[in-house]
Amino acid sequence: MQKQRTYLFFLGLILLSSFAIVRQNKASVVMKLLTTKTDFEVGQTVILQFSNTQEADKPLLYCSNSYGSTLITSTIKNNTLEYVIPENITKKIGVINWTILNANKSLSGTLHILPKAEVATMETYIGPPSIEAGGTDYTMLVVIPTDSLDNPVPKNTLVNEKHQFLSSEETHDIFTDKLIAYRNIYSKKESGRMLVSSESLGINSKEFTINVMPAIPTGFTISATRPHNYSDGNQITTFTTSIIKDEHNNVVSDGTFVTFFITNQEQYVLKTTGTTIDGVATSKMIHPDYADTWSIKAYVDGMSESNSITLSYKQVIEDFEVAFSEKNRLITVGPLQSFMQQMIPDGLHIKLKIYKDNILVETLTKTSFNGYTTFKLKPAIYSHGNYDFSLETAGVAKQFKTIKLW
Amino acid sequence: MKETSNKFLIAALLLGLSFHGSSIFFTLETTYDALIHLFFADHYANSWFEPWNYEWYTGFTVQSYPPLVHQTIGLLSLVGGLKFGMFSVALIAIVLFVTGTYRFSLLMTSNKTVAGYACVLAVFSSSFVETLHIFGQLPSIVGVSVLMHALPEIYLWLKTGRKWYLATSLSLIAVTVTSHHVTPIFGMVFFIFPLIGMVLMDVSREQVNSMKEVTFKIFLNSFFKLFKRIVSFGMLSLVLIVGCIFPYWLNSKANPITQVPIPHGSRDNFLEITSSGLVFFLIPWGILLILLPYIFYRYYSKRYLFFGLSVTICTILGTGGTTPVPLKMLGETAFNILTLDRFTLWASILSIPLMGEFAYRFVQGDLKALIQSKFGAVYHRIIGGILAGLFVFMVVFTMSLNYFRPSQPQKIKMLPIVNFLNQDDHDKWRFLTLGFGDQMAWLSAQTNAMTVDGNYHSARRLPELTTRPIERLENSKFKGVAGIGSLQQFLTTPEKYNLKYIFSNDKFYDPILYFCGWQRLRQLENGIMVWERLNIPPVSAILPKEDVAKWLKIHWGIMPFLTVLIAFVLNIQMLFVIALKTKEKPLPDFLKFPISYNKFNRNVLRIIHLWSLVLAGVVFYGVYLFYIKNESQLSPENAIIAYYDALDFKEFEKAHSLIDPSSNIPIAQYMLEISVTDGLLSSYAKMDAIETEITAVNDSTVSAKVISQWITPLEKIEKVDYKSLSKIKGKWFLQPDDLNNDLPPDQLYSDNVTKYFNQGRRRITTEATHHEDILKQPVLEVVSAKLVHYDGSYAIIGEVQNIDNVPSDVILKGTLYNDDNKQLATYNAKYHVKHKLMPKESSSFRINFEGIAWSKTQDSIPDTFNPDEFTPVEFEEQPTKFNLQIAGNVAGTDLYKNVVLSELKIKDSILEGNLFNSGIQEITIPQLLITYYDENKNMIWVDHLFVKAGVRQQRKQHFDYTILQSGKVEIINDSMKNIFVNGLPNEDISDKIVPNRIIDHTNAQLQPIEHPDFSYIKIEINTYIGSPN
Repeated sequence: MQKQRTYLFFLGLILLSSFAIVRQNKASVVMKLLTTKTDFEVGQTVILQFSNTQEADKPLLYCSNSYGSTLITSTIKNNTLEYVIPENITKKIGVINWTILNANKSLSGTLHILPKAEVATMETYIGPPSIEAGGTDYTMLVVIPTDSLDNPVPKNTLVNEKHQFLSSEETHDIFTDKLIAYRNIYSKKESGRMLVSSESLGINSKEFTINVMPAIPTGFTISATRPHNYSDGNQITTFTTSIIKDEHNNVVSDGTFVTFFITNQEQYVLKTTGTTIDGVATSKMIHPDYADTWSIKAYVDGMSESNSITLSYKQVIEDFEVAFSEKNRLITVGPLQSFMQQMIPDGLHIKLKIYKDNILVETLTKTSFNGYTTFKLKPAIYSHGNYDFSLETAGVAKQFKTIKLW
Repeated sequence: MKETSNKFLIAALLLGLSFHGSSIFFTLETTYDALIHLFFADHYANSWFEPWNYEWYTGFTVQSYPPLVHQTIGLLSLVGGLKFGMFSVALIAIVLFVTGTYRFSLLMTSNKTVAGYACVLAVFSSSFVETLHIFGQLPSIVGVSVLMHALPEIYLWLKTGRKWYLATSLSLIAVTVTSHHVTPIFGMVFFIFPLIGMVLMDVSREQVNSMKEVTFKIFLNSFFKLFKRIVSFGMLSLVLIVGCIFPYWLNSKANPITQVPIPHGSRDNFLEITSSGLVFFLIPWGILLILLPYIFYRYYSKRYLFFGLSVTICTILGTGGTTPVPLKMLGETAFNILTLDRFTLWASILSIPLMGEFAYRFVQGDLKALIQSKFGAVYHRIIGGILAGLFVFMVVFTMSLNYFRPSQPQKIKMLPIVNFLNQDDHDKWRFLTLGFGDQMAWLSAQTNAMTVDGNYHSARRLPELTTRPIERLENSKFKGVAGIGSLQQFLTTPEKYNLKYIFSNDKFYDPILYFCGWQRLRQLENGIMVWERLNIPPVSAILPKEDVAKWLKIHWGIMPFLTVLIAFVLNIQMLFVIALKTKEKPLPDFLKFPISYNKFNRNVLRIIHLWSLVLAGVVFYGVYLFYIKNESQLSPENAIIAYYDALDFKEFEKAHSLIDPSSNIPIAQYMLEISVTDGLLSSYAKMDAIETEITAVNDSTVSAKVISQWITPLEKIEKVDYKSLSKIKGKWFLQPDDLNNDLPPDQLYSDNVTKYFNQGRRRITTEATHHEDILKQPVLEVVSAKLVHYDGSYAIIGEVQNIDNVPSDVILKGTLYNDDNKQLATYNAKYHVKHKLMPKESSSFRINFEGIAWSKTQDSIPDTFNPDEFTPVEFEEQPTKFNLQIAGNVAGTDLYKNVVLSELKIKDSILEGNLFNSGIQEITIPQLLITYYDENKNMIWVDHLFVKAGVRQQRKQHFDYTILQSGKVEIINDSMKNIFVNGLPNEDISDKIVPNRIIDHTNAQLQPIEHPDFSYIKIEINTYIGSPN
């Protein structure tokens, strides 16, 4: 038993020592880069070759570009180690850094993937999509011509910027720099629609549209049209501007908001508004129901204004009749007659103020119908006694003192 | 002896299933709660183990409600959809309830026939009908039914001490807990404690010869004898109540209900608010009200003494705010959290066995004999007919309550909304529904889109909601000032909640949406109007959630069904025994205490008669009062109230019938006159209160001053009308009002306008909108802006102009800072700005800084409604600087500008004038923005006025505005430095587009006024078009 153990011990010892020898045989071998080329055109197959004497040793190659990093295994051909850089890395232009992951001594280097001088697609951006006429505002066209692998083309590749505006068609040469080509396209004096495109190495971009909008409006004039000049409180006066233009003689864009301020005889400021169509803003105003003189001026707030015009409205009702009946409790106003003695259109306001002992009891307002209005004073509300009445319509007032209700 | 099937029970089951089972399809979806449970079920169906739900309240946990019923519906929904699940569970609930009442009644009465009577009557008991068909409280029904199933088991455990019964009773308690948390807790008090008392009585009874001999001493002895069993059952069920829904309790502790209590009808004074009295007292009691003396008489007999106490307490608590007793019994907190109608429900369920007993004795027992001997057979039949008639009436009335007083809006087809949300990434924003009622839960169940609102108020988290007594924003118009106030906050600053779309089923909210800067998108085919707000960022991809430990999620997901499984295994054997009668079983202990029904107490009969007479008297008096109050032509006041009510509810035929017939206005003419008036008051107002002052009286003519208060979404309006009434043949009639005879000159009008259309994406694709298709944001310019302090509140005022060439939607956001650049408050412009500006149009604006209303003064929430209520934010420090961010987006709608200020007069600080509508759209609500200037024409304040009536095409509308009271406006800061337009500095933009701006251009056209603090005003007009065409 004892002997057996001793033999086993020695046998084990011998086995262990054999391993130690194997270990010692593995001496370091100097790996060397054989590939000398460091610049490749994008899309080419890139193979890195290394000299290698030992077949067993195949270290990994770590390589990275701006997309990310990866590890590559090698194959051995004719005693050289070959590393094939994967396509997804060689497809992209830029720098590839590589490192051999070797325990003893690491080899590393840099490769450059260069762009191809071909254009497959044009990546184009333009903005803003609308600019102001006048020559100071501009839109910027950015073109990124890219090759079939979606890489930007080499520096100083020619790009033609083309645009059409009104009757002019222009072409400009621009060159790519730092992957892109760009140009600021300035507006002209006129407003309108500008179509923009670009071309590089025979490939054309699609069409882009830039709206050149008119600049801010300048002074304009206003006029008024009305069916008659009577203050009937019914007809409508229309105010119209001249064609509003900007300083470059462009008609302002549709929808431009114009405010007409009307100052009446009592210095109250009324207003009406309108929006332009083809530069002309129209705005409506109902006639006053009493004689008045208006002074009208229109504004585009903060930007431009019109001349001031004056309109007068003549009184239509100079006088009206009032009849008391049914124990003075039924007050009939009318006939209310207009300028040709026709009945005034329905809706004229008639105000009745009722005073008792010189104190205003109530104000009743009614509208005329077929030229007449009646007020009915109910005994339940207005008890027997003497009242004063005041009737007002169309700016005319009539007083009735001490009317007895019973 | 072979056990026979109880024919009554089978009849009850068949009747219950056919009656309720067929009617739930017409009622359940319109109940208050059913759809909420459906939403929870949908949550479980989609994510069983994840308790966090993002869809409501910006996220909440479903661990805030016991899960069993929801999970069951969720599980069944995988078979046949959510509604299949819901109806299946409802059917199960019906079976459980009927069998539960049978077993409970059998336990109580020890008589199978009586128990049979009871369970047949229970099928039609109005409280059950109401709970199922009107409230839709499925978990509550399942909970109480399972509890009733547990009661015999508990009795047997206490009585016999057999461990088997302990296991079965506890297993059923566990199911109760997982289906409804409140039921077992109060069930302990109101069902199990009296049951323990009854067991003790029975045990004591066995020691002596008759019930009369049971003394307190014997009772106490039995108590000590059974003490161990009682305590062990009590402790174990406590463990189950806590353990089975442990995550719920944990969540309640983590998120205690700190919110303002929500008013509930069951806390009202039922005599004052009769509708609450009807729903929460009269209906659940139903026919039982007549039997009350019998119920109390029987429950106060020695054996049932403790049930007597229990039913008394439940009855009293169920009266809500009618008497001060419930408030004192429960204390302030519990009173305001609990809904008290559940006590009435329990009281009525406790009474079911006795209802059965009464019916038995009346139909074939000693009561029949007594009545027939005393009053004769005919009388018995008549009484029977009356009772049966009343019983049937209560059932029919309860079932049809929803028909007569719909608690929900009409059923809304959800598919168009679901499709809309799925379109074009619309579900990347939150949405809000208005006027959907509880159907919003059904919408939520069908879509993944999130809403800021929700329908389970205990889970609310946003302080804007928890500080107010409102359940949801959805129905805020019914919640008065607090509701509209909350809603306005969400509408004014929607970007805070990523709220972009609103589905409106109620025209009432349209004006507030418009004036808060929302725009109509389109009407879906189901009639729902979609509103959208521009410039809202989408919901971020990763949202915060309150996570819980994994074991809690697993516990929550597994435990409920585990309890059901265990209960099944333990109880199924017994169920089979009952159903199949395979095995002879010893008589259960509770059947050993039968009562012989041979002599009905004459005094009780007398009292029932008396009580019935009293009830009948009360009913007739109530009907009489109702008649006096509602007979519309009995007095001038009644006529006026009836007339205004009719107008409020748009019952024009009724309103017309109250108009003096001698005035000869045919209904067609009357309708025409009414229909042409549009506006805030006639289209968007709800009458809140009405007061009539009779100013002059003689026999047949009266003049009345009618002061009516109207609620509109924008403000509260007080309207004073003068009406005259005449009495004709004993009836009062109103005199018709005078018509405005205004007549425009032309019949046909033409108008040219520039219209805009933004087609969104040009190409049909699911990809993100192409950059070419994104419109440039219109350039705006802030002409002036300043921070001012007036009348106790801070505001940013100023003027903004659209200097671009396209119309713009304007959103203004102001932020206030103190000297140390600490942000103090931020808010958006509400309705003090024209939100839509044409090219070159300008608008004055004011940004108020609103706090979350009443967040500090929870107790002093006013009862009266005032949507215009403004709570200035409380600043801890003095704001000294401000930042203004303006965003413009191309607008294509709501650009109507044809409104003219055609007449103006200022007299004694009243500004009177006329608006003239010069265009071809009817203006529904005109709004005036009045800007005040000081003597140097510096802008210092902006005010507004909503004109109450609309303006028809080519017609005038009078308005009057009271100029503000004197008060100095303090200008704190008028630096234009921190103003940004579309993210760019204001100054740079204005220098580029309008380099030579004419400063204060239109200041020459300001209207001078006589006022100590203000010298000039400017009036701008904004219009809301209710139905553009």
